[in-house]
Amino acid sequence: MKTLLLGGLVEDMDERDIMGLIETLLFVSGDAIPTKRIADFLDMDVRKARKLMEKLIDVFNFERRGLQIIRVNDSYQLATRPEYGEYIEKFFGADKKQSLSQAVLETLSIIAYRQPITRMDIELIRGVKCEYAINVLLEKGLIKEVGRMDAPGRPILYGTTDLFLKSFGLTSLEDLPPLEEGIEE
Amino acid sequence: MDYHVKLDMFEGPLDLLLHLISKAKIKIEDVSITEITEQYLEYLDRMKEFDVEIASEFLVMAATLLYIKSRSLLPKPKDEEQEESDPEQDLIRRLAEYKKYKEASEKLRQRENIYSNIYYKLPEELVDDKAKNSSTLIEGDVNDLVLAFLKLMSQRKFQKNEISIYPIIRRSITVSQRIREIKKILTKTSQCSFFQLLEDSCHRSDVVVTFLALLEMLKDNQIRIYQQGQFEDIIIRRASRGYGRT
Repeated sequence: MKTLLLGGLVEDMDERDIMGLIETLLFVSGDAIPTKRIADFLDMDVRKARKLMEKLIDVFNFERRGLQIIRVNDSYQLATRPEYGEYIEKFFGADKKQSLSQAVLETLSIIAYRQPITRMDIELIRGVKCEYAINVLLEKGLIKEVGRMDAPGRPILYGTTDLFLKSFGLTSLEDLPPLEEGIEE
Repeated sequence: MDYHVKLDMFEGPLDLLLHLISKAKIKIEDVSITEITEQYLEYLDRMKEFDVEIASEFLVMAATLLYIKSRSLLPKPKDEEQEESDPEQDLIRRLAEYKKYKEASEKLRQRENIYSNIYYKLPEELVDDKAKNSSTLIEGDVNDLVLAFLKLMSQRKFQKNEISIYPIIRRSITVSQRIREIKKILTKTSQCSFFQLLEDSCHRSDVVVTFLALLEMLKDNQIRIYQQGQFEDIIIRRASRGYGRT
């Protein structure tokens, strides 16, 4: 039996072995792992790695495993399934995570669809001050500063984070539910 | 008797307008601002009646609505070109724009309810160790710093949440015990001071107990006390006729 060496290991493993290895890496990592890193490690094409990941996701779903693999912006992460959430809370006696207030959520959705956007533009759309909501979102790591606008005062531009995508079960910004288009100019 | 009436809460003037429009069952495009103005002002009056502080944004909107209304009552200026934007159309556009994001936020709410139920695992320690040991510089920006800070803070918070209980130790010295102690001291030296008695104890209860002990002894005529002035040290002397009443 050959010793496993990085680079050469892929040939000695069948697909199931490799998927098992990826699963292991995801477990140890806890955090999301970018496809590129997996591909580099396995010495394979990113496209092939992505295909493998999608297959692994299918396997997890088909076997109705308690865990799932989620994709966020071309990174993969091991997570529990939402349908078991309430049992987790019950078993561990945890409190339900507090949901965002309406003001904060409205602000977040404007940022999500219109990013990068300044605070002033958000306030123009909502018709009310949004400083507090923005601070809450920054503190929760759902939005971040993405730059400064080339305008007087160089106002901060805000955008959403990967944590935002994860928290709302989105794989990328394109995955946002389409806006209900009303009357446009 | 006081009575409380619950008013619907609105996120802002646009939210209130949307509510009024949907209540009237009309489309935003077909809204007559003049009609809605009445209801809007009525609502503000009700807020005042119930002693709700009205945010300035609501008043600004009231002014805008009244401006639009007054414009519609006045004859139109002859040269139309001067008036480039129609405030009524502007407002309708803003309403439509706001509605779009409000509806989107409702969809996000549904998603939030589902996906906030997902849990992740913390990275294994070796993942952290590796990052610690390798001194490779990573290119970061403000956000990385903020994230690192938040991560740290969340750990701190975690520690803070662990309730730590410190036992409060009650020194169990009684007044009678203290009297015995003071008597013992006074048999060695005929005189001592209050401050001396408390030299090696800084506990408040010691001060109180010692003071009570002295009062007790004074009452029983066992000691005599002298003081030069208020807040001065108290000199304690054995009563000349020995212990006990004469």
